[in-house]
Amino acid sequence: MKAVILAANRSTRLSPFIQTRCKPMIRIAGQYILENTICYLREAGIHEIVLVVNHQQELIRQYFGSGQILGVNIEYVVQEELLGIGHALSLCKSSLEKKPFLLVYGDVMTDYNPFLSILQTYTELDREVAMVALPESSKEFGNVYLDHEMKISRLIEKPETDQANYVFAGMYVLFPKIFDLLNEHQQNISRCYEQMIETSGLQACLWEKGWIDMIHPWHILGANRMLMSSWETAQIDSSAKLLGHVHIEGAVRIGLNVTIESGTVLKGPCYIGANSYVGNNTLVRNFSAIGPGSIVGYGSELKNCVLFGNNDVGRLSFVGDSVLGENANSGPGLTTVNHTIDYKPVTCRSGATEVGTGLIKLGAFIGDSVYIGARHTLGPGTIVESGEIIPDSITL
Amino acid sequence: MCGISGIVHSENIGRNLFNSIRNLEYRGYDSCGMAMLQQGALDLRKNVGGIDEVNAVEKLDQMQGSIGIAHTRWATHGGVTQENAHPHLSADNKFAIVHNGIISNYQQIRERLQGQGVVFESLTDTEVFVNLLEESYAEFNDLEQAFLAALAQIEGSFSIVMLSAYDPDHLYCVKKESPLLLGLGDGCNYVGSDLNAFLEYTRQAIVLDDGEYVVLGQQDYRIRKLQTRELVEKTVLQIDWDLETSKKGGFSHYMLKEIFDEPQTLRQAMKIPLEQISTIAEMIAGAPHCYLMGVGTTYYVASISQYYFSNLADRYYPALSSDEFSVVSVESGDMVLALSQSGETYDTKTSLEYAQKKGAQTAAVVNVMGSTISMMVDQVIMQGSGPEICVVSTKAALAQTFIMIRVALELGRLKSQFTQKIYEGHQTDLEGFSTLVEQVLNEQSGFVRNIARSTSHVEHWLFLGCGVYYPVATESALKMKEVTYQHAEGMPAGFLKHGTLSMVEPSLHCLFFVPPPEQKNLHDRTLIAMEQVKTRGGTVIGIMFQGDQRAQAAASQAIQLPRVSKLCAPLLQMIIAQMFSYYAALDLGRNIDKPRNLAKSVTVG
Repeated sequence: MKAVILAANRSTRLSPFIQTRCKPMIRIAGQYILENTICYLREAGIHEIVLVVNHQQELIRQYFGSGQILGVNIEYVVQEELLGIGHALSLCKSSLEKKPFLLVYGDVMTDYNPFLSILQTYTELDREVAMVALPESSKEFGNVYLDHEMKISRLIEKPETDQANYVFAGMYVLFPKIFDLLNEHQQNISRCYEQMIETSGLQACLWEKGWIDMIHPWHILGANRMLMSSWETAQIDSSAKLLGHVHIEGAVRIGLNVTIESGTVLKGPCYIGANSYVGNNTLVRNFSAIGPGSIVGYGSELKNCVLFGNNDVGRLSFVGDSVLGENANSGPGLTTVNHTIDYKPVTCRSGATEVGTGLIKLGAFIGDSVYIGARHTLGPGTIVESGEIIPDSITL
Repeated sequence: MCGISGIVHSENIGRNLFNSIRNLEYRGYDSCGMAMLQQGALDLRKNVGGIDEVNAVEKLDQMQGSIGIAHTRWATHGGVTQENAHPHLSADNKFAIVHNGIISNYQQIRERLQGQGVVFESLTDTEVFVNLLEESYAEFNDLEQAFLAALAQIEGSFSIVMLSAYDPDHLYCVKKESPLLLGLGDGCNYVGSDLNAFLEYTRQAIVLDDGEYVVLGQQDYRIRKLQTRELVEKTVLQIDWDLETSKKGGFSHYMLKEIFDEPQTLRQAMKIPLEQISTIAEMIAGAPHCYLMGVGTTYYVASISQYYFSNLADRYYPALSSDEFSVVSVESGDMVLALSQSGETYDTKTSLEYAQKKGAQTAAVVNVMGSTISMMVDQVIMQGSGPEICVVSTKAALAQTFIMIRVALELGRLKSQFTQKIYEGHQTDLEGFSTLVEQVLNEQSGFVRNIARSTSHVEHWLFLGCGVYYPVATESALKMKEVTYQHAEGMPAGFLKHGTLSMVEPSLHCLFFVPPPEQKNLHDRTLIAMEQVKTRGGTVIGIMFQGDQRAQAAASQAIQLPRVSKLCAPLLQMIIAQMFSYYAALDLGRNIDKPRNLAKSVTVG
């Protein structure tokens, strides 16, 4: 069976991290989302992958190439105009040889391999299958109704009443007849699903483990936490240099050629990517992911945060519940304030509107190649756009 | 639903064939059997009971031969008897078949064959087909042709596997609207109603489509279309998962599957003929005393029923736990109404024997056809909820409660407690309930899970309710204990001020089952209790109905259900509490379908 992964879309709501990369190239817990998806597919016995790309496709092509490094074959299909999922899929018709295939949305993330489950349901029942999950709020998704045989009986795109259903999880096993349906419905994929539900039936496969659809920047933190929670063991590369007393507890993962100075405490699960340096007396708390090539200065504290890579966090900083884009650097004494005084849920700007995150603890989102000078304090939910340079805060 | 399996091998397959139906046991477990070809003759062993039970008597796993078929049955119609169990043999003992599905025109064929002197051992449609095979073979003297000629005469939906003494090397299989798959092994081949039949032995499978038949040999298989007989090329699938996770058809646990099955179960319970319900109502009406009996969940079902008998029929019948039933001095003519899902519950069985000895009349609501309790009582209602695999009972308990409401309603009518119009109103409420359950299961899942997740760490719960919501709370607390291993205590909300309030502190979580506001008295009493907990700093969570602002204000977290009739409101809350326990257990990583230390059917004292 082949898999189609949709990785072309450009979602502005993930700003400031989306201008310079596409969603599947966001690095979570040390691994790109797309890399994670492809590894799961390979584990489930799928080696032929059709990858639909557009926005920032060079990054994908450079990293994955023909797929050989991951043991798969990747065929690239370019969606020149971003006209939706149905359109993206219809471009893949000629690559799919009139056989059933897996359709995977490139921006969803799970903590365990979901493809084994969906393929199992497909094989058992020989029907078209949609993976469904139960998110905390189903407002943003296509809500489905399930009957006693786990068939989908109804699809409601945007429910009017306040309800919390199972939703489409962005993974499907579809038959080639989908292409006829797409033609019939002007490439509107939701109409196609609706018709399937009414006629031939669409089987649901329940996913009850971790699942996140990356819509807003704080979902990066949720996905990072979800993935790290599934880690059961520590993995420390033998090339790591732990100089003097370094305290390590829990599932700590350390890549190639990492240097950690004395007095540092690492509390797992946490991740330190290849070629990174962590200065003396630093506290790396759980759910922190330090991307490769980063430097964390003396006496800093990191907590529940994602550093994409090549970051430099100056000495005596606190980075908590925050995300730093690639090459984002800060001088000494950066503090990300991660809750309001009254502990009310933090709001965050998304485009022109303020969006409630529902999170009590949330720090800052610092775009790629930002330079923040010495001694700055960022309020909860702050977004710093990519490329900004903020001068030092100098008293005299 | 039944399970079918067949194996063609060069070695002895007795043990493997037995294992394969054991892996299908979840498809049905009221009777089973195997047929194998040994030195040119068919050896048939079958009996009633679960697979291991039958094996203990019939020694299925010690059967000899290299080709055979097996079946595990869940009776939907036709009694659970040794004769009705599969496989079935033809009168000349040359053909054996196993069958899943229904042959709709079997009655006409049966009559025609009887006219020709064929004697039938069972009442099943399956035996008709096997004798049709014998007849066709006499005409064609070719097995494949005979198989097709017999198939051409039957209508309905079925999957069938045939073994014949005329061909020791092949099984003949057909699929029409009932599932059938092939498994391809190394020097051996398999057929089964799902993957579990052979997943232990091979990972290569072929899914058959409707209208295809197969001649299955040890090394070869030919799949053809029934209509045209043309050969069909099929894809061989490589299966990558383990046995235990492959049985749930898209669901991750049987418990959730069975909760989602509840609308169907309620429809089934509504279909139970009124005469059966009335007969029990009349027995109760005519008895000087009536006792409701069950143990564990069924005791709570009996306790819930108490309130319905009181409200609908103005009669108080005590609910007793079967293991404590000896406290009752039963007299001749008294009525004992027992509840048991398996029909094998030791305590209930023993207490029924005791009651019968004293001359009492007995009746029971049971899920497993042919079980001891269903056979021993004077009157039985088969609830027809289908096999329940998860040890923790959900759909079967709900259906029993629903049936007991129907009995209470009939008793109310007998005793002229309400007008025909009110009676019909209640019937309409019961009929419409399954649709509402479907809606609630879908639209509320996320809310229930969010609350269950945020509280799964809680080690001590009080589940509280007033009136009929009190036994609903106790039953729900039992669910919580069974599946999460956390402590949950069900009690009347009015108990709080008589002692339990001393426990209240922020870490004590109280789940309230709040009645609809129009049940003013019960609602007020519940609200008072909620306030009592809240003002003392306890955590209040409520399962309530939409528009109940007072209850919302009193609870820190609330599940708000759509408005439903007074009659069905407690049932809806029971379902929500089942989901609540399920999602809490999921978050805690418990062994949901088989909680530690528990067994499905407690057949020991």
